[in-house]
Amino acid sequence: MSPRTRRILELVLDNLVWFMLVFVLAVFSAFIPNFFQLGIFANIVEASSVLGVMSIGLALVIIAGHMDLSVESVAALSAMAVGIMFCSSGIGLGLQLHPNWLMVPVSLAIALGVGAIIGVINGVLIVKVRMSAFIITLASYIWVRGLVLVVSGGRSAQDLAPAIRWFGIQRLAGLPLTAWIAIGCFVVFSLILAKTPFGRHLVMIGGNETATFRAGIRVNRNLVIAFVLAGAIAGLAGWLLAIRTSGATANLGVGLLFNAFAAVVIGGVSLKGGVGTLPGVYAGVLLLSAINTAINLMGLPANFTQVIHGLLVLAAVLLDAFKQTIRQKLA
Amino acid sequence: MSEPLLVLDNITKNYGAIHALRGISFSIARGEVVALLGDNGAGKSTLVKIIAGGLEPTSGRMLFEGKEFLAKSPAEAKAAGIETVYQDLSLCTNVDVVANFFMGREITRKVLGVPVLDERAMEAVVARALANAGTRIPSLRTKVEHLSGGQRQAIELNRFVHWGGKLVLLDEPFAALGVEQTRRGLDMIRQVASQGIGVVIITHIMQQAFQVADRIVVIRQGVVAGDVARNKTSPDAVINMITGETLAGAGPAG
Repeated sequence: MSPRTRRILELVLDNLVWFMLVFVLAVFSAFIPNFFQLGIFANIVEASSVLGVMSIGLALVIIAGHMDLSVESVAALSAMAVGIMFCSSGIGLGLQLHPNWLMVPVSLAIALGVGAIIGVINGVLIVKVRMSAFIITLASYIWVRGLVLVVSGGRSAQDLAPAIRWFGIQRLAGLPLTAWIAIGCFVVFSLILAKTPFGRHLVMIGGNETATFRAGIRVNRNLVIAFVLAGAIAGLAGWLLAIRTSGATANLGVGLLFNAFAAVVIGGVSLKGGVGTLPGVYAGVLLLSAINTAINLMGLPANFTQVIHGLLVLAAVLLDAFKQTIRQKLA
Repeated sequence: MSEPLLVLDNITKNYGAIHALRGISFSIARGEVVALLGDNGAGKSTLVKIIAGGLEPTSGRMLFEGKEFLAKSPAEAKAAGIETVYQDLSLCTNVDVVANFFMGREITRKVLGVPVLDERAMEAVVARALANAGTRIPSLRTKVEHLSGGQRQAIELNRFVHWGGKLVLLDEPFAALGVEQTRRGLDMIRQVASQGIGVVIITHIMQQAFQVADRIVVIRQGVVAGDVARNKTSPDAVINMITGETLAGAGPAG
């Protein structure tokens, strides 16, 4: 095999999910009436913002060789905290700040803060107690959702303050600002992961934790930061979710966790850690969103979505194994 | 002789009721190569981990450059100038050669106040270091998982030669190397020692110890069973110390 074909093959393997996305979009455009229009594509991007943001945090800790099952509940708690404070009906307190725009940074800070606090708890327990991230964050997944029920009493908050909702309404180049926030997050965290020492260390910790410890990298500190980031990013996802639904319900976002896992795995992140990139994860998120949109357009019952997502995850895992064998032949 | 680089004074390590080290004392001078020999389970790797900051001793003290020294983490040992090459390789196979070479010591430049990896500068340094050592690796951007065992070990060895420091600990560094690479590795050790760096090398192969070491220290059942200059002993005498038939120059026991 010439070095040229080899390089092309590597490029295809590294960006397989993008090729899949283009392929799927092309097929949908060809066979589904009314699919091929700008509004549909904008809708795919728009509908994927909450899931996309949540997947970033999840991907970070999985790449570092751990796991965070709590992101979904954390997003719900952040959304509920924002909902209770800044919604005017239901259980909302209808807090008003003057000037009105002040509610934006305050609500955002609350959402990020709630997420970061749970991230600290997760991270410190995992690093200090040396217990599996799976168990610790499974516990968080349950108790944080419980907390949402406790603070809301099972009721919901509606009518989010217009100053905050503005982000979901105001459009820039056809996309609402919330979608731009998600895209911005992907750009920023992709750069952090690929270009900074911190990102490089996370990838290496995911590859061989012992080696990084021996090399003098402060593994525990980096891992705690990763969990805090995952929590805070989940908080941001919750903020976007509150804007999207103009409030919060006690069962807000249920099931998002599994979609986030699906997106991360489809995006080429290995659950064993150390492998994966954030642009790939974004492609995975868009792929899921495109399939949802196609199902809607075809008028299939929405119940099919879950079946297709499940099969897609299965396909992604099989594809990953297949990629490994090809790579071994390349080496 | 000048003051020793590292002095170990009655180092012990217990794992519960098991006494892995029962009082190890010896010293290493600058520019000296000490071969650490002993049977499996004699406590060699434990001792190396204690010096390198991976384990804390149960009792005893160390002097490094004349000052009381106890590394609580590998990062502290590294900061003090102690480099370690472990038996099970310390490479992250999921990243490329350059990333491994600079693990934890990346060259960065500031972009808008944020440290950003300077890949080009790092690659240049690695290319030069590997060329100097005569190691050939097809592409420095290859992930280490695609390299052979010998190439991986060569990266580790080149890494310690490049970073140097003051004291180098090598735990069976040639386990996966061929004859020619081993010879080159031994040359590297002499070259490093000639720069005034102290070297401790753990090995099972008597011939290697006699080829490279200035002094041979034998550990048996957690104590120093022998500490002799290479030119004042023979492989047979050393084997006797390892198996325990003689106790020439034994350290304190118990």
